[in-house]
Amino acid sequence: MALQPRGYGGVVQRLSARGSGVDNHAWNAMMVAAQAGDASSYHRLLSEVVAWLRRYYARRLPPAMIDDAIQDTLIAIHEKRHTYDPTRPFGAWLAAIARYKWIDALRSLKAKPTEVLDDDIPVADHEEAITSAWSLERLLATLKPAQSQAIRLVKLQGLSIEEASKATGQSAALVKVNIHRGLNRLTSLLRSESDAD
Amino acid sequence: MRTEPLIDRLANELKPVRRRTGWSDALALVVLCAVELGLFLAMGMMRPDMPTAMHLASFWWKPASLGLIGLVSGSVAIMSLDPVRSPRRGLRWIMALIAVCLASGWLLEPSRDGFSTLTSRLDWVSGLECLYTIVALSVPAVIGLGLLIRRGAPTDHAGTALAAGLAAAAWGAFVFVFACRFDDPLYVAVWYSLGCGAVTLFARCTLPRLTRW
Repeated sequence: MALQPRGYGGVVQRLSARGSGVDNHAWNAMMVAAQAGDASSYHRLLSEVVAWLRRYYARRLPPAMIDDAIQDTLIAIHEKRHTYDPTRPFGAWLAAIARYKWIDALRSLKAKPTEVLDDDIPVADHEEAITSAWSLERLLATLKPAQSQAIRLVKLQGLSIEEASKATGQSAALVKVNIHRGLNRLTSLLRSESDAD
Repeated sequence: MRTEPLIDRLANELKPVRRRTGWSDALALVVLCAVELGLFLAMGMMRPDMPTAMHLASFWWKPASLGLIGLVSGSVAIMSLDPVRSPRRGLRWIMALIAVCLASGWLLEPSRDGFSTLTSRLDWVSGLECLYTIVALSVPAVIGLGLLIRRGAPTDHAGTALAAGLAAAAWGAFVFVFACRFDDPLYVAVWYSLGCGAVTLFARCTLPRLTRW
C-alpha cells in the first residue's frame, strides 16, 4: 500500500555481478550472527563492507571526505544494526544507509570552512579523484550557471568568498546565496533521485 | 581516526540486539494510545449527550475519518523507520484520504444557509478550546512516535516526521471526538484541521532535529 521501497535491488544485483568478493548471502548470514552478538562475524562483515563503501563514496565525494564518510557509515551500521531485517538483502539495507550518510556529507559541505590547498600535493593515484570529479561535474551541470560557478570556485577550488566575488562579478552576498541554494538544490536532487529509484 | 581501529572497537563493543519490527513498534503505539483513551474516558470526559449523538451520521463521520487517517499515517510513519523505505508515496495516499474525508463530511451535511450562519456555526470560543485540547491530547502520541523514530533508522526525516505528526494529530482529535459536543462537519473541518495542522507542523519542525542519526 503506502510505502515505496527504494530501488536498492539493483544495487544488490550489481554487488553480486561485480564478482568483487562480495557475497550477499554471506553478508546476510554475518549480519544475522552480528545481531546475535557474534563479534568475529561482525568484524569480518565490517571489513568487507569497507571495501564496498570505499568504491561507493569514491564515485560521489571528494577524496578528502571519503574516509570520514566510511567511518560515519560504519558507526551508523553499528548503532542501527537492530533495524536490519534478515528476510531482506543486506546489500539494500547497507546501500540505504550509505546513501543517507552521503547526503549528510554533502550537507556538511555547506558548513565546512573551505581550506586553501598547497599547489604541490603528492597524490598516489588519481583514479578516485577523477571519478568523483566526473560525478560532481555531472551534478553541478544540473544547477544554474551562477550557482555551479560559485560552488566550483569556493567549495572545490578553495577560493574565498571575496575572491569568488571578484572572479565572477557577483556580489559577496550573492555568491553565498548561490552556494547555499545550489547545495540545497543538489540535496533535493539526490533525494528525488532516491525516491525515483 | 583510521578505519581498522574503528572496526576493532565496534566489534569489541558488540552486544546482542533485539531486532526491531514494524509490528512491535505498532504494538507499543497501540498500547500507549489505548492507555491514553482509557484514562481520558475514565476521567469522565465523555460528552453527556453521547446516546443521542450516536444516532447522527455526522458523529460517526468524525471518529471514522480520524481513525482511518491516524491508522494510515501511523502505518506509513512506522514502516518508514526501515532505512530502505520512503514515506513519500504513503504521504500522497494520506493527503488523498484527508481530501476524501473532508469531501464526505461536506456531502453528509452541505451548508444550505450560505455564509449568514457561518459565525454561529464556527463558534470560535469553543473552537479555540477544541484546538487547544486536540493539541494537548496529541502530545503522548508525538512523544511515542518520536521515541520510535529515534530507535528506528528513517532515511527521509522530513517525510517520516510529517507522517508521524499527522498520525499523532489524528489520534489526538480521535480521542477528543468522545468529549466534543459539536458534530457540524464545517466546525469539525475548520477547528479540527487547525488543531491537527498545528500538531503536524510542530512534529515536522521538531522531530527531524531530535531524531538525526
